[in-house]
Amino acid sequence: MNRFRDFINTIRISRLRFWTQIVAFLLLVYGGYLAVNIGNELPTFACVFTDQRGGSCYLMGFQHQMSLPWNRLFSGRGIGVVMGFLTFVGIFMLLNKAWCGFLCPLGTIQDWLTAARRKTGLMYATYGEGVFQRLSTIKYILLALLILLPMAIGNSFFGLPKLNHDFGVPFCMICPGRTLLPIFQGDLSQLAIDFSSTTKMVLTTLGLLVTGLFLAGAFYKKRFFCLFCPMSALHTIFHRAGLLRLTKNGTKCTRCGNCYRVCDVGIRAIADDLDHHNIVKDDCMMCFKCVEMCPEEGCLKITFLGLPIYQSTEKGFFTRMGRRTHGK
Amino acid sequence: MENERFARMQKTTRLHLGMEATETLQRLTDFPDQPKAMDYFYDFFRRTFADGLTLPPRPAEQKVIGTMCLQVPDELIVAAGAKPLRLCSGAYAFDQVGAEMLPAKSCPLVRATTGMLHANHPDWGRELAAVVIPTTCDQKKKCGEMIATMPYPVYNLEMPSTKDSEASRLYWQESVKQFTLDLQGITGRKITARSLQAAITQGSAASALFRRLDDLRKSGGPVIFGKDIFLVTSGYFIDDPERWGNAVHHLITELEERKQAGLTVGNRAAPRLLLTGSPPIFPNLKVPILVEQSGGVIVADEVCSSNRLLSDGVAYDQVTLNDMVPAVADRALKPCTCPCLTPNHDRSRRLVELIRDRGIEGVVYQAFSGCLPYEMEQRQINTTLSGIGVPMLYLETDYSPEDQGQLATRIEAFIESIIARRRKK
Ligand code: SF4
Ligand code: SF4
Ligand code: SF4
Repeated sequence: MNRFRDFINTIRISRLRFWTQIVAFLLLVYGGYLAVNIGNELPTFACVFTDQRGGSCYLMGFQHQMSLPWNRLFSGRGIGVVMGFLTFVGIFMLLNKAWCGFLCPLGTIQDWLTAARRKTGLMYATYGEGVFQRLSTIKYILLALLILLPMAIGNSFFGLPKLNHDFGVPFCMICPGRTLLPIFQGDLSQLAIDFSSTTKMVLTTLGLLVTGLFLAGAFYKKRFFCLFCPMSALHTIFHRAGLLRLTKNGTKCTRCGNCYRVCDVGIRAIADDLDHHNIVKDDCMMCFKCVEMCPEEGCLKITFLGLPIYQSTEKGFFTRMGRRTHGK
Repeated sequence: MENERFARMQKTTRLHLGMEATETLQRLTDFPDQPKAMDYFYDFFRRTFADGLTLPPRPAEQKVIGTMCLQVPDELIVAAGAKPLRLCSGAYAFDQVGAEMLPAKSCPLVRATTGMLHANHPDWGRELAAVVIPTTCDQKKKCGEMIATMPYPVYNLEMPSTKDSEASRLYWQESVKQFTLDLQGITGRKITARSLQAAITQGSAASALFRRLDDLRKSGGPVIFGKDIFLVTSGYFIDDPERWGNAVHHLITELEERKQAGLTVGNRAAPRLLLTGSPPIFPNLKVPILVEQSGGVIVADEVCSSNRLLSDGVAYDQVTLNDMVPAVADRALKPCTCPCLTPNHDRSRRLVELIRDRGIEGVVYQAFSGCLPYEMEQRQINTTLSGIGVPMLYLETDYSPEDQGQLATRIEAFIESIIARRRKK
């Protein structure tokens, strides 16, 4: 058993992640061809605009539901809405933020862009602390908008006129998932500007802009888009209760900062927070690179329902760093 | 006249150094059940200190770069094809030379290092391509100015006096980047991503080895004395890394076998102690030797000549210089628990964790008289330790052999009291 543990702790989770991401990408983007459907309330960008997908992003349905007039939302229809939400929360809690690190197709595309940049030998961009803090609030604004804008279709706020239906799924209109993921099935139709109404024209133009930013941004800045992702904002409400957890034993931490160094998102607290046991932070995507790069025995751990699955070890750290030099 | 005086001083210093080393080695080996693999280190120091500290053999074209603190990222020096040589000296013979040049109340380590550079100047003035001094404590900074006039090519590596803010981290990274560029000028060799990666790997290998060795002290009857550990890590200052690595590897193998066979050094139930404070560096192993002669065993340490020197590993994200150089910088600053840094809570935290992890029963705090940061931090550490009910012995000492009797009495009493505490429990 100890031997087995030792072995597990010396593996490279990044490798496992690399392959899982590919499989998940194939499943979520092409699953439809095999009649796979893993759910309609997925806490990740399995984009609904991709015809043969293997599951659907929750945000689309959620925005639709938000546009219902309140009297209908609080009647029989409401039960369905609540059930949908609970399903979403349940599926999310099972894997917690690992949906982002291991499964999200948009996350995976960003990681591929990172890999491409790395090949060129270019340095990645980083944010200063203040900028990071400020930028990471944007996702909450986006989340508020994707709830409030649809609501303003079915309901009138403060006696203002209701919004037109073109605002139905406002986030989808600007989401790079809509423009990019269908491309993988040869569908380029989302890459156009919709001139049928002013609203649509503005939103789809914005969508193309965001897509451009997404591609350029993710090339230079690791997980550029994730900092702004409203799905991640929605996760934040529940991640503390996730079944899969990242935990830290602050007494063992030397604050060497290795974890922070390699964190693609740039979460400083992973090194400096010594007080919290459950250490998943708002912007964490549970990629577990930090666990891999922590040299202190049992300092960082991945647990499921409280049971440790993988943990930082001295031996693991040095073995991985050694293997890396030999190009393995 | 001047020259003649210098030559006389150099001659007597060499003589004294040789005697000091021989005597220390004599005392180091005068313990029962010594591991065989320690012989390498005893021989190494015997050879190296026989004639005024000779630099280990190396390829003729290889430059030697002296460093005066573990804050200097060795990896960069190795990547530039040079040999890093940690200059911090523990020799009383050199301390006496330095005492002529520095205030009486200054730190013996600084005095000895300055004295060593002065006494060895005829050879080392040619051999050392640079003496790198990070701006850590005031005494090191100021002695640097003196060393520059000897003359040596002194390089002041700018370092922040705090490490908690992001600004200090970036400042340090900038300063290490500049150092990387300047090193290429000094050595005439380009540092490439590949050469730095290889150097990082070499450093990691040493840390991994040291950690394995150190882990053997964690539990059970002691398989190695602390005094020997300090000798091994003092060797790392000077020795060729590959030879050093092989010797440590042999030592680990032997100790593992001994552990299997249930063999211990000294008394199986000897009080388990931790040594912290000013660094024990060969030949100044006075305190550890006295502690272990008095029946205690040092199973953990928190000093910059041992545990702090060799525990940390560099983590980089991609094999490019602009990621690896800051990574190396982080390794040197972030986990550092030197009292030059303010605040220094990490040191108390590290101590508490070591105490918990290794079943430590008492802490020996060594402070070199004249080393203010360690002298001042003593109170803080003492408060932390009393908070968790672990007794601490504070020893103010220097490199001279004169206080040995007095130290021995206090150490013996301390160890007695620990044994008495056990009975009460
Ligand atoms: S935060 Fe990133 S990985 Fe997570 S859902 Fe958003 S885009 Fe995907
Ligand atoms: S890598 Fe581990 S020891 Fe280092 S700061 Fe992060 S959690 Fe702490
Ligand atoms: S904190 Fe750790 S798990 Fe979270 S994103 Fe950063 S490296 Fe990945």
